[in-house]
Amino acid sequence: MAVYQTSQFRNGLKIELDGSPFVMTYFQFVKPGKGTAFTRTKLKNLITGAVIERTFRSGETVEAADCEEITMQYQYEDSGMYYFMSMETYETIGIDGSIMEDESLYLIDCLECNVLIYKQRPVGVSLPNFIDTEITHCEPGVKGNTAQGATKPATIANGAVVQVPLFISEGETIKVDTRTKEYLGRVR
Amino acid sequence: MNGTPTVPVLRARAALLSALRAWLQHHGFLEIDVPVRVRSGALEEHLEALAVGEMWLHTSPEFALKRVLAAGLPRIYAISPCFRGEEQGRLHATEFTMLEWYRSGVGYREIAEDLQGLLAAAAQAVGRTLPRVEHLTVAEAFSAAGGRPSDPIEAQRLWVASVEPQLTAPTIVWDFPADEAAFATVRGGTAERFELYWNGVEIANAFTELTDATELRTRWARSNGAREAASRPPHPIDERLMRSVGTHPRAGGIAVGVDRLLAVLLERDDIHRLRVQG
Repeated sequence: MAVYQTSQFRNGLKIELDGSPFVMTYFQFVKPGKGTAFTRTKLKNLITGAVIERTFRSGETVEAADCEEITMQYQYEDSGMYYFMSMETYETIGIDGSIMEDESLYLIDCLECNVLIYKQRPVGVSLPNFIDTEITHCEPGVKGNTAQGATKPATIANGAVVQVPLFISEGETIKVDTRTKEYLGRVR
Repeated sequence: MNGTPTVPVLRARAALLSALRAWLQHHGFLEIDVPVRVRSGALEEHLEALAVGEMWLHTSPEFALKRVLAAGLPRIYAISPCFRGEEQGRLHATEFTMLEWYRSGVGYREIAEDLQGLLAAAAQAVGRTLPRVEHLTVAEAFSAAGGRPSDPIEAQRLWVASVEPQLTAPTIVWDFPADEAAFATVRGGTAERFELYWNGVEIANAFTELTDATELRTRWARSNGAREAASRPPHPIDERLMRSVGTHPRAGGIAVGVDRLLAVLLERDDIHRLRVQG
């Protein structure tokens, strides 16, 4: 497995630490006048999302994480398993819903996602930042209610619920930001 | 985008440099223009001087200023570009600007008083007011982070990882362990050394200067031994400095990173773009 020196640190570097894969989100070279040089880092656990801070001495090495992100297309769900097809090999794999937080609620047919494979095992699914999705259920807008900014819940995609303006109706297609879980607009 | 700072930054930098010189001149310090190409670049194990032919670019104006101190000027300063290899980052540049001043007849406590006066003038020069300066010892700073590890490398790691980032108010940290004495006098196992932190950044470093040339030679040899063990070239011993250290009076001295001071005053977390790039 490849090894990185502290001088090769950069944002986005994927490293293996304490048996987990991490991505570097911040690094800073710091050398006290008194002594040896260090690099402060912030590392995000690719599986749990937890962010830790680690300070490496110059010259220390870290192992590259045995992981890769591949683009896969969502196919269907069956008893808690979510099936995705590789856009390169057309091979289909099943991913246990338990490795996802609420990403599974935003899956729609043929949605292209990035699947993180760690040690040959899928460990995470990242959604595109924006999806266009049909509203499968929402209450009709209340007539006469013109309050600015008033919203109502609407069910979309695979069961996610977002707040939409009152004038939006069931069956319409809307754009949603999957990072903030917010309604962005109507898609015509 | 032509390698120069913005006009407001250039103006702030000029105002800062003027204020530093005005404060020092007002307090009787003479400006010395020091050579940057020197016979020995550094003493410390972890400083890398850049070679220029048979000579070196200085890593600080310290050696030249101490020779001037020994020549008989009691209050002197220099503002000079300095050069350090293998230091690159948000707070590190190969070339940077350092202010150093030395004052005969005093120790590091008086230098700390100078520093606070100078900082107030520096803040005022860029339209700010100096916040209250905090004081704590190295031991106190470590105890807030769970105590100082006995292994020196782990102690430094903890310092960098957990102590420095907490020092956001301007803070003078006093009294370093003897193995981090560098040029400082050691008394009762403690180096008479302080550092100024602000915004979690080391801005200045001061000593009651060592006046024992024999002790300095021992420390220099120890540093070179460690360098050779790590396959690094030894720092040549500067014999003119040795003679000066043995003859100059008791003195306090300090080095201030001017680019870092400007960064903190302008609330930047990066020293690049605060100085015309080479």
